[in-house]
Amino acid sequence: MGARPLPSPTGRRWGNGSTGGGSQPPDAPPRPPAPAKSTEEAKPPLLPSRRSSILSTLTAPFASRRSSLCAAPGGKRPAAGPWMLHSRVSFSGLPLFQPIQEIRYENTYKVQPDEGCKFNACRVQRVLESALAGSLGNTAYSAQSGAQLAHGLADLLRSRAKEVVPPRYKLVCHVLLGQQGQQSLLVASRALWDPQSDSFASATFFNTSLFAVATVHGLYFE
Amino acid sequence: MEEFQPHSDEMIFNADEAHNIVKECIEDVLGKADYNHNKVNQWTAAIVEQSLTHLVKLGKTYKYIVTCAVMQRSGAGLHTASSCFWDTTTDGTCTVRWENRTMNCIVNVFAVAIIL
Repeated sequence: MGARPLPSPTGRRWGNGSTGGGSQPPDAPPRPPAPAKSTEEAKPPLLPSRRSSILSTLTAPFASRRSSLCAAPGGKRPAAGPWMLHSRVSFSGLPLFQPIQEIRYENTYKVQPDEGCKFNACRVQRVLESALAGSLGNTAYSAQSGAQLAHGLADLLRSRAKEVVPPRYKLVCHVLLGQQGQQSLLVASRALWDPQSDSFASATFFNTSLFAVATVHGLYFE
Repeated sequence: MEEFQPHSDEMIFNADEAHNIVKECIEDVLGKADYNHNKVNQWTAAIVEQSLTHLVKLGKTYKYIVTCAVMQRSGAGLHTASSCFWDTTTDGTCTVRWENRTMNCIVNVFAVAIIL
């Protein structure tokens, strides 16, 4: 079969990366995924198209892939470039995509937020107050819905605060929602942080049946 | 395996350790006391300060936020929720609930990692 020469150079290539794939180049063409791909291609010469369809998943241009296969086996294989990015290939012939590389950021040499980019406590407090008033309004406290309400409120306040807070800030939003009874409640918080760049804002809301205390802490993250 | 870690020390917040620390601090301050409106300020400040001091003694490169809510037990309901925008691999939180006959105490610890 004309396909025979084709598996060997590719099989050799696959043998480089795979754990045991090099031993099975003759089996590579009839692997189950390959026919599925070739049906998409729908080309009469089955094996060459299969090869090209498999390797086209590596996002290499289709034409260059085909031409590289037709080139002399001993010649350069520029099309090996994109393939070699995925140095592990299963012996089914499909490349095993490596886990996404961690992006290493370069050092910004910043230890403080930029001028004018600090956590603006007043602004955040205003945002919290309006968000609380808007969402609680005349809501009555109920034991069943209280938990969900608190949860939803925390998410809402966090997203509202995120809109007004400068970038590079981590946010911690804490909400206390309680029934208005004859009890008293005191909320205190203390933090270990950098006082020049980090801050917090808090707001309270109450109506006849419930009260809510919301606090948002902003921590600069370099 | 160090080359796979994005930060120089791979840190994970140890919530159990923090839980134990905070629980001890609360027991220490509130112990067998009954709710007293005049002393609540002192109590919350003491709980929070002690917790923070002990957490810092762990020696990890974290910024901490400790919040404490003390409420008189009168049958009223209370819900707390928190939502955080941070790096979930390194940052964490821990909540400790404590109560006695006359009051409820909820302490939240949020730990946010810093990269040195």
